[in-house]
Amino acid sequence: MRKIFITMALLAFGLVFAGQAPAHTPMCDCFDNGDDTVTCEGGFSDGSSAAGVVMHVMDSSGKALLQGKMNQDSEFTFEKPDGPYKVKFDAGEGHKIEINGEDIVE
Amino acid sequence: MKQRILFFTGLMVLAFSVPAWAHFQMVYTPESAVQKTASDLNLKLVFTHPFGAGHTMDMGAPQDFFVVAQKGEDGRKKRTDLMGYLKPITWTSLTNSGKAYEATVPKKIVRSMGDYVFCLVPEPYYEGEEDIYIQQITKMVMNVSGLPGNWAEPAGLKAEILPLDKPYGLWTGNVFRGIVTSNGKAVPGADIEVEYMNHAPDMKKNKFEKRANVRKIPNDAFETMTIKADGRGMFTFGIPKAGWWGFCALGVGPDKLYKGKEMSQDAVIWVQAHDM
Repeated sequence: MRKIFITMALLAFGLVFAGQAPAHTPMCDCFDNGDDTVTCEGGFSDGSSAAGVVMHVMDSSGKALLQGKMNQDSEFTFEKPDGPYKVKFDAGEGHKIEINGEDIVE
Repeated sequence: MKQRILFFTGLMVLAFSVPAWAHFQMVYTPESAVQKTASDLNLKLVFTHPFGAGHTMDMGAPQDFFVVAQKGEDGRKKRTDLMGYLKPITWTSLTNSGKAYEATVPKKIVRSMGDYVFCLVPEPYYEGEEDIYIQQITKMVMNVSGLPGNWAEPAGLKAEILPLDKPYGLWTGNVFRGIVTSNGKAVPGADIEVEYMNHAPDMKKNKFEKRANVRKIPNDAFETMTIKADGRGMFTFGIPKAGWWGFCALGVGPDKLYKGKEMSQDAVIWVQAHDM
């Protein structure tokens, strides 16, 4: 009986602190600007803004190269790294998108 | 072979027997809902009779051609002038060839996620048979990635249909609803022509394909359908077939005269339905 109570209590605790269940799918796409910069833009499928979302640029081993945030227009522009790289759109748990540098074209 | 000759003759008879209206200004691209912009966007601007691929009228130089884009419903709206991308072409229908235009919009302008509301303000066309000018202010909405934007918002046109359903997000069988406006105000009881693009446009050869998707109609009432907006200026149309459908609210614009003659300033919007 005690075990069930503890399990239930933990569950309830978890629910309260799980935060708002997100109702929108994250979206991110990146473009090579042809001038050694890359622009990534983001959004959510319900049309809401991605301003402030953290952006990571990493090398192929996952080592961080640079980090920034989506601006007011939900865009993030950075210097294109030499060599292979990946970009991560990080809007929280379940809302991360990783894009391979070699898929980023003009 | 004989059947085919009869069929084409029948089509030609239809094309010449339609009333002065059933003219439809097209702003055409094959696909309005794309996941990602693959290349530059080619648009065809043709003033013609889309159901029968009939008479194509000569377009004069457009007065204005632009796109208003928005990424997300809170995003900053971007208006881009497209006049500089226009190129005159000749468009060939089943009955004749006419002067038209195409625009090749660079990929960079249409690569972002969101809505693109293309707007064309053509030069008024002189319709000799009725001694009247016709100006069909035309909208076509494209979407990249599914992220919504400004599809429902006015683009500031004198005569404009405001969609209540996404013009690029319709399944066959969905209704398309819109509100007819003139200078931004609803037009109760507006007459609206509805026409299905029955012949696929050939983007490379600048012509309509000979093959008709719909080959039999009970009578001419089905070539160009006419519906009316209600007391609030709103109309609803159930879409029976996949493809492009044009809606033209007749004479609703505020400009009633052009070069001393009567003008019908119409509001046109094109929507596309996909089969599930």
